[in-house]
Amino acid sequence: MLQKILGIWLFFSLCTTAFAQDSFQIKGIVQHAKDFTPAQGATIIGNNLYAVSSETGAFSINNVREGTYSFTVSHIGCEPITIIVEVEQNMEEVKVFLIESATVLEEVKVNGKTKKREALEVPIITQTVSKEFLEQNRENTLMQTLSKIAGVSTINIGSGQSKPVIRGLGFNRVAMVQNGIKHEAQQWGNDHGLEIDQHGIENIQIIKGPASLLYGSDAIAGVVDIQPNQTPLPNSFGGEVNILGESNNDLLGVSAGVTSRKDKWFYRGRLTYRDYGDYKVPADRINYENYVFELDDNDLRNTAGNEADASLGIGYVTEGFKSETVFSNVNAKNGFFANAHGLEVRTSSIDYDSSNRDVDLPYHKVNHFKITNNTSISAGEHLLHIDLGYQNNNREEHSEPVPHGYMPTPPDTKERLFIKNTYSLNFRDDFNPTDKHDMVVGLNTEYQNNNIGGWGFLIPEYNRFTAGIFAYDQFEINSNFHVLGGLRYDVGRVDTKAYYDWYPSTVNNADGSTSYIHYQRSKDKTLDFGSLSASLGLSYIQDKTSYKINVGRSFRMPLANELASDGVNYHMYRYERGNLDLDPEVSYQLDLSVEHTENSFSVGVSPFVNIFQNYIYLNPTSSYYETIQIYEYTEAEVFRIGGEFNASATITKNLQLDASLEYVYSEQTSGPKEGFTLPFSPPLSGLLSARYQFEKILIFNKPQLIADYRITAAQEEIVPPEEKTDGYQVLNMSFLTEIDVFKNSLPLEMRVKLNNVFDTKYFNHTSFYRLIDVPEAGRNISLSLTIPFQ
Amino acid sequence: MKSTFKNFYFLAIILLIAACSSDDSTEIDEEKPTISVNYTSGFPQGCALLSRGETYNFRAMVTDNSELAAYSIDIHHNFDHHTHDDQVTECDLGEIQSPVNPLIYVENFTIEGSLTSYEINIPVTIPTDIDAGDYHCAYSVTDATGWQSRTSIDIKIVE
Repeated sequence: MLQKILGIWLFFSLCTTAFAQDSFQIKGIVQHAKDFTPAQGATIIGNNLYAVSSETGAFSINNVREGTYSFTVSHIGCEPITIIVEVEQNMEEVKVFLIESATVLEEVKVNGKTKKREALEVPIITQTVSKEFLEQNRENTLMQTLSKIAGVSTINIGSGQSKPVIRGLGFNRVAMVQNGIKHEAQQWGNDHGLEIDQHGIENIQIIKGPASLLYGSDAIAGVVDIQPNQTPLPNSFGGEVNILGESNNDLLGVSAGVTSRKDKWFYRGRLTYRDYGDYKVPADRINYENYVFELDDNDLRNTAGNEADASLGIGYVTEGFKSETVFSNVNAKNGFFANAHGLEVRTSSIDYDSSNRDVDLPYHKVNHFKITNNTSISAGEHLLHIDLGYQNNNREEHSEPVPHGYMPTPPDTKERLFIKNTYSLNFRDDFNPTDKHDMVVGLNTEYQNNNIGGWGFLIPEYNRFTAGIFAYDQFEINSNFHVLGGLRYDVGRVDTKAYYDWYPSTVNNADGSTSYIHYQRSKDKTLDFGSLSASLGLSYIQDKTSYKINVGRSFRMPLANELASDGVNYHMYRYERGNLDLDPEVSYQLDLSVEHTENSFSVGVSPFVNIFQNYIYLNPTSSYYETIQIYEYTEAEVFRIGGEFNASATITKNLQLDASLEYVYSEQTSGPKEGFTLPFSPPLSGLLSARYQFEKILIFNKPQLIADYRITAAQEEIVPPEEKTDGYQVLNMSFLTEIDVFKNSLPLEMRVKLNNVFDTKYFNHTSFYRLIDVPEAGRNISLSLTIPFQ
Repeated sequence: MKSTFKNFYFLAIILLIAACSSDDSTEIDEEKPTISVNYTSGFPQGCALLSRGETYNFRAMVTDNSELAAYSIDIHHNFDHHTHDDQVTECDLGEIQSPVNPLIYVENFTIEGSLTSYEINIPVTIPTDIDAGDYHCAYSVTDATGWQSRTSIDIKIVE
């Protein structure tokens, strides 16, 4: 009996053991791939199996039978990951590494609307430029990079500087915004470039149309809005180093940036340095009127330069509150073509050809210091935004002192000095009175203080104050149909200061006597302006097609030089005369946009019609002042029509084709140049792009070959003193790839770009050097390497 | 709703057609005037020598397709060799020198009567007390539209 009992017990106990041997425990740990910190609260879900990771990232699942299991591991802010676990005897601890979701903002997707969808719903016609686009298409300047977008072009001053042009309008008619603050420098100037570091920008929004409602004066033709960078994720650290080399102007550039966040505080910093030599053009000599300038080794004499930029951002983020302060400084020095400064032909004893890297006279240097603060506070239903800005722009133009007219030889090389301080305060309250309404009310204020120096007078000293209040409402009629309407009123005051020549001019009086007078070039004047802006738009989404229509009124306050200048610009051979009676420029525009997207292709068209009530421009008259032609700031009615067309098709999995076309027709319909176009009108231009994605080759991951073929028509529409410009065709090629150098680390990004493959000699109608018949840059090979680190 | 968006297409087409049909109802003048001293009595010719105390008739031919408006004559020193002329000949420049009392002749004139061709003929007396040396003579001319042409000639003023 005992034996029987023992036997049964043994049998059962053995069985139990056998059963116990059949069920195992899975032990594991979840960590962030980036820094191997534990991921607490990650869920590990399998078929009927479930665990949550502890503070140390550890988890365990008991009573699992032998076999193969699949688990999904999820954690907030990370990409969900699926792991396969072989459950067996002596199994090792399972290690799970989580990769962060690309952005914090993507979490917003949970609410059901992507950024893309939001952009479709807003009736304002905008274009978003991503970091990816900027990196793949990076050129020498930010605006050259953006000019690949249909409707955006640039006025280039050599290889290192450029100004934004949107649908043919530039200078002060395009507002450049960074971190919510309007970039304020000497935008009116012909040879002035943009003082913004093009590295470290994550997102740009471009509005190709009047946007005074949102941005105030100067946004009459459009806005290039560099958005604040995204807030880094908690407990993160990352950065990148970018190295760039170019063959055409022997450029060497380095830019390094880091971002870091602990819990609530975050930091980011960036340093950029670029140094380049004279750029090469596909010509041995420049023929300008009857002058001939022989070039040494195709170098456009004295166009070398350098740029050193630094920025530091410090931010604090917590529930319902976020604030970031960014300090930045951009410092650049550029030479101007030595044989002709503006239109003025010069000879010099300077040995320009001894080096292609030195910057001799004439040159300019600029330092732009900026502090911005962006604070958002969520208070109940309201989201309050406060943007504060301070900018100091210090720009000097140096040239060899030469006597002109009655001006004797000046004492030094400092021809012009501009010191401009700009203080900005913007406030807006974003709230939803009902589900259907998204209302924004706000206030923009700005104070500018402009000081001048040097022996060449161009614009007077001035103080300027502007303030505007606005309100707009986006109303959802149904989920596919949205209306946006808004109103704004701005007031402004410009205080110009008197200026007298530092030398006397000879005046022959009527009575036969001669007197010597220090002429007054500008007057002490206080001028007040006021202007209304309005915008009304609809957006409708019908399956794969979206429609937008927008009508708006925008304005621009006259600038101090347009109002009060009165002096000779020797480099342009013109006497510039302001007009104190100018009104704020007013423009009305009707914009349309239709976009259709299928899986394999998309097409879009965005036409516009625009009427300027009083376009202000510098009109060449037929009169002289001391043998210099008089140009007067004049108002004219202007009619403009044009638009852009975009198409994109995915031919095979690996091949994508894109095409775009841009066109603007402008005509002055009143005034002394009735029937003429506007200055710097870009010609009809199209861009064909093909992109082929290869399979992985050796260490090259995602290699891509891109060909961009630009076809630009001749510009026959000109206004004095412009020249007609022939059409051209230029091919650019680039090769992009990621390189897996080390396992488990982020891949390197490499880009080889070949610009102007056939070394084509062509002229860009909107280039600063076009007036003296200087062609665009010749063939250029650039190599860019980006090394990310964590 | 459908019909509204048909109208959008309609509007877009109208815009495109309007954009492509430019009706040049206003005739615009796209031609610059011309200026030349390259004829027998044109003065001064490149590298000309002018004597102090003498009076010279400065003569140049100007033409335009529609209407000449104004011209200017500018004589200034080139003691620092700051620029060169746009004439075919190249002149031997003297030593670089500092101006003491250089000649400055800066005058503008209008051309009346809607002419399309005109000969500039202005007598200029070279004062006896001015610095001798390298000079420039620059002519410029405008038409009624605001187009301008210029030409510049290297000259030398001698004792």
